[in-house]
Amino acid sequence: MTQQSAAETILAVENISLSFGIMKVLDSISFDIRRGEIRSIIGPNGAGKSSMLNVINGFYHPQEGSITFKGETRKQMAPHVAASHGIARTFQNIALFKGMSTLDNIMTGRNLKMKTNLFWQALHIGPARLEELENREAAEKIIDFLDIQAIRKKPVGKLPYGLQKRVELGRALAAEPELLLLDEPMAGMNSEEKEDMSRFIIDVNSEFGTTIALIEHDMGVVMDLSDRVLVLDYGKQLADGLPDEVRNNQVVIDAYLGVPHEH
Amino acid sequence: MDQKEPDTDLDTFPKLLASHVKLRPTRDAIREKDLGIWQSWTWAEAAAEIRALACGLASLGLKRGDKLAIIGDNRPRLYWGMTAAQALGAVPVPLYQDAVADEMAYVLDNADVRIALVENQEQVDKMLEVSERCPKVEHIIFDETRGLRHYEQEFLHDYEKVQLAGVAYDHDHPEFYDREVAAGSGADISIMLYTSGTTGNPKGVVLSNDNVIITARNGIVREGLTADEEVLAYLPMAWVGDNLFSYAQSYVAGFCVSCPEDASTVAQDLREIGPTYYFAPPRVYENMLTQVMIRIEDAAEIKRKLFHYFMEHARQVGVRILNGQSVSLKDSLLYKLGNILVYAPLKDVLGLSRTRLAYTAGEAIGPEIFDFYRSLGINIKQLYGQTECMVFICVQPDGEVYADTVGTPAIDVEIKIDDNGEIMYRSPGVFLSYYKNPESTASTKTEDGWVHTGDAGFFDEHNGHLKIIDRAKDVGKLNDGTLFAPKYIENKLKFFAFVKEAVLFGDGRDYSTAFINIDLDAVGNWAERRGLAYSGYIDLSNLDEVYQLIKECVDKVNQDLSADSRLANSQIRRFLILHKELDADDGELTRTRKVRRNFVGERYDILVNALYSDKTECHIDTQVTFEDGRTGSLAADVRICDAQVFADSSTDQEAAA
Amino acid sequence: MTFFIEVVLSGLMAGVMYSLVALGFVLIFKASGIFNFAQGVMALFAALTLVGLMENFGFPIWLAIIGTIAVMIALAWLIERVMLRHLVNQEPIILFMATIGLAYVLEGMGDIMWGSDVKVLDLGIPQGASDWMLDNFDIYIEKLEIFAAGTAAIMVAFLAVFFQKTRIGRALRAVADDHQAALSVGISLHTIWVIVWSVAGIVALVAGIMWGSKSGVQFSLSLIALKALPVLILGGFTSVPGAIIGGMIIGVGEKVAEVYLGPFVGGAIENWFAYMLALAFLLFRPQGLFGEKIIERV
Ligand SMILES: Nc1ncnc2c1ncn2[C@@H]1O[C@H](COP(=O)(O)OP(=O)(O)OP(=O)(O)O)[C@@H](O)[C@H]1O
Ligand SMILES: [Mg+2]
Repeated sequence: MTQQSAAETILAVENISLSFGIMKVLDSISFDIRRGEIRSIIGPNGAGKSSMLNVINGFYHPQEGSITFKGETRKQMAPHVAASHGIARTFQNIALFKGMSTLDNIMTGRNLKMKTNLFWQALHIGPARLEELENREAAEKIIDFLDIQAIRKKPVGKLPYGLQKRVELGRALAAEPELLLLDEPMAGMNSEEKEDMSRFIIDVNSEFGTTIALIEHDMGVVMDLSDRVLVLDYGKQLADGLPDEVRNNQVVIDAYLGVPHEH
Repeated sequence: MDQKEPDTDLDTFPKLLASHVKLRPTRDAIREKDLGIWQSWTWAEAAAEIRALACGLASLGLKRGDKLAIIGDNRPRLYWGMTAAQALGAVPVPLYQDAVADEMAYVLDNADVRIALVENQEQVDKMLEVSERCPKVEHIIFDETRGLRHYEQEFLHDYEKVQLAGVAYDHDHPEFYDREVAAGSGADISIMLYTSGTTGNPKGVVLSNDNVIITARNGIVREGLTADEEVLAYLPMAWVGDNLFSYAQSYVAGFCVSCPEDASTVAQDLREIGPTYYFAPPRVYENMLTQVMIRIEDAAEIKRKLFHYFMEHARQVGVRILNGQSVSLKDSLLYKLGNILVYAPLKDVLGLSRTRLAYTAGEAIGPEIFDFYRSLGINIKQLYGQTECMVFICVQPDGEVYADTVGTPAIDVEIKIDDNGEIMYRSPGVFLSYYKNPESTASTKTEDGWVHTGDAGFFDEHNGHLKIIDRAKDVGKLNDGTLFAPKYIENKLKFFAFVKEAVLFGDGRDYSTAFINIDLDAVGNWAERRGLAYSGYIDLSNLDEVYQLIKECVDKVNQDLSADSRLANSQIRRFLILHKELDADDGELTRTRKVRRNFVGERYDILVNALYSDKTECHIDTQVTFEDGRTGSLAADVRICDAQVFADSSTDQEAAA
Repeated sequence: MTFFIEVVLSGLMAGVMYSLVALGFVLIFKASGIFNFAQGVMALFAALTLVGLMENFGFPIWLAIIGTIAVMIALAWLIERVMLRHLVNQEPIILFMATIGLAYVLEGMGDIMWGSDVKVLDLGIPQGASDWMLDNFDIYIEKLEIFAAGTAAIMVAFLAVFFQKTRIGRALRAVADDHQAALSVGISLHTIWVIVWSVAGIVALVAGIMWGSKSGVQFSLSLIALKALPVLILGGFTSVPGAIIGGMIIGVGEKVAEVYLGPFVGGAIENWFAYMLALAFLLFRPQGLFGEKIIERV
């Protein structure tokens, strides 16, 4: 956690509303994320947290509102465009390329960093080969960073859950994103795995300066890691502020924290 | 064979280093797998790194006689730290990298460490945690910068910055390094190694350059090692074995040492390096074998049959073939076929296909395990040694390897057995003293240089090899006067894959009893194949079937004991399966994973008492430390089981013979 | 014995053709989950285009091949634009119907552009029996068939490297594994589809050249597509090696059955043997030899 007094806003969400049919999933949500911060989104199940991330990275197209990312305001953008502008993410239900190895998953994460065209690729020579080597090195640095050397060549589908989550983080990091969206990166982990994952999130934030939007149910983790916390409940914005403010906010306590909520 | 007189000018490590730079500047001195690739440094490159680091250390104020702590996994930079310190006449003190901060604090303080060279943030954090208790530590140098960017303490230094400062210092004082190296001599202190200490605080064993280098050279001569060996440095740098095999012998013989990528990739790295010279404590060999067995049990029917068939054949003739004895043509051909189908692929999986010499040391190894490797054609040999003499006391000679002895004295080693049956030795490797501990020094080492090993043993009359039965102080007596050698029996129990640890009781009692720790992998696998449901260690260890399984193991050990008249009465009458795994974090094991028998006995005295009553069950509440350092309690009802006791069969056999 | 070997070898060679077509199927199926009924017609279309470019425009061979490749890529782009893009997220059966439509469109287009008579395709690929095999092993085998097998092997090796070792190959596999995740790392599905259909088009071209050199370019070529179906059932719909080996098995199986069992049942086994084999597989190993196990998740 670094002090972000006068930091620039990297992402601003304004009056976003999203419905599926008659169901309003997000109701006029507005918030911003500052460069370099860890921004948490919390809320009970079905609050619309994942939907919010899906809007940010272009999976969902909101009916109303706008998103300003790095100074450009859009109503929506295609996911691969979001990716090319520096947004990477992980998923609530691990979405890895199960048939591929850890290394290949991470290399795929570098997709946008690799530029050589189909012609060179097809021949697998010249610039394509050189590029492959450079990116392999970058991928290896991530493997080293996440301490997953031992599973480098293993197909990820067969790995234990906690490690899969780690590989997924690796794949997102491989894109060297400016904004990293993490959807419940610690769900279903034991306390030791959670601690490791928290460590990685802090390290990503402080070593690479990556801005992080984090959805997490474990309040301890949220309070420890976050610079600011946004609270959603049934598509509505309940509160937004520093962890302590949110923790002591009566509305939040009633709606969310008050209910015993062990995920 | 004409033995070249060793060059006695090369009596320190920095001098040896300089000689390799002259002899083989472009050959690899050390390797490390990093970012998925094996990076290597030649002797010339390593020497340059060491020179820069040494000068950097000097610029931080490290002087002759000062201590430099080294903490971390095996990495080139940490090994260079050793030589760099030695170049200045300072003393490297490697610490166990997995020690908790408390344990580290004792050693750091006791050794008067001034500078610590550590691997990463994890170690730095531990150092900071105990910094108040270690006021003598002035500087901390870290190798990996990750996570340390925002640490602002002035006494923290990036390794690379220290080296840069060293280059500048070298530039300003061009004669400094060579002058310091030349000032070193064989009699100087080379290194301090802390023994893990089964009782009390660890003790710093002070070893001179002569101790280390002469012993290393003797080992090389005896086994015919060359500059072409391949070695993987994967055991803790604080362990004397690692210092001898991966450091001292590399510098004396000039072979290259490889550092694994990560503790979790050792098996993979082993395969890639294919060491010719390998060493491991019995536990490692045991684990490898257990892994193989588990994989075989899960393999396809044909594979499993093939494996068992050829392993059985290897058991029958493999050891004889390795020892150079003759076998029938059919057996020899079948062994060759087995080699193609089973042995060679298996050795490749284990990473031992190129291994010419493998040592096991630290404690006794199970004969089954030992024979398994030997029957595959791997020349694994037992070594009997101690930190106090830079490892070598006895080594099994090639072609004369018996599972129950530790071989003949190493070069220049004299051995005698004192009146209490304790083994004593004298050798050029015998340590100078325990650091700042004249009492212990005096009680271990006699005026004329004989060292008490603390082990009880005798020379086998037939082959003249040394046989060790137990720790001298642990060899006790049952109330009826029968010899009680707990470790000897514990080891017999541990030879079964299902038994992970065993703790024997019986000294000053009427009969022997045992605590058993089951091996979660092996027993769990066994239970799964039988469709037994269990939810964890406690649950598994309490199953009827598991008790029956372990009883069979205990019974077999009893039958074994009944064959020896001196031990027949010490058969295990009652045993229990302990409700938790013995753990170094709870102090039940040493860091090298040896059982602290007395501590365990005191900690679980309720259970011990129950073993010596007629109870069949006993409730216990235990404090435990979880992996994250928290403590909690663990309650269980532990069952107690009677074992079968066999009549003393030794007399019959003698009568028959 | 030599006769048996001859039978097997000629079966293998026919099998290579099946494999090539099946390969095209697998590529598209893996990357987009579409069962491309038009794969056989694409082979025909490619061969027609090649012949047309050579005959009608007098292109030299190499230029005609490059030209045809360009046409196949343009076709892939068109298919993505006109068809796939609008059918995204539809039921598989709808996509399947769309490819049937595509098959008719392509057939019609080929007809209109290049006419419907049988054309001779002569790329200078050596014809006749291999003297070397005849002299040394006393085995009759056509040079063309050896050439075809060699070309197929090179192509498969090439594809394997492409899939395993390159960014685009990885992206293709990524899309096959998980669309959403692929999108999130910045892979554009549209681009990938164009690439996959292009590759499938090039594979079709190779198949078309081989088949056309042997039996002339005619509309019956599109019928080998039907033979590819049992190959796929045998090899699994998602496995590249499965397609190759499945093709060989079917090729050899039907030839051997024809020669050795044919006389007893009145011949023409070759026409239905492949389907029988596929039926047997459907009963006992529905995922095929190499396909991923079909597990219904709870
Ligand atoms: N693609 C979709 N189609 C229809 N409804 C959807 C879709 N995606 C989300 N929803 C609905 O939107 C609401 C919010 O879902 P969302 O997944 O965003 O919640 P969440 O806060 O992430 O909850 P959780 O903590 O369970 O992950 C839910 O009622 C969900 O069923
Ligand atoms: Mg969600």
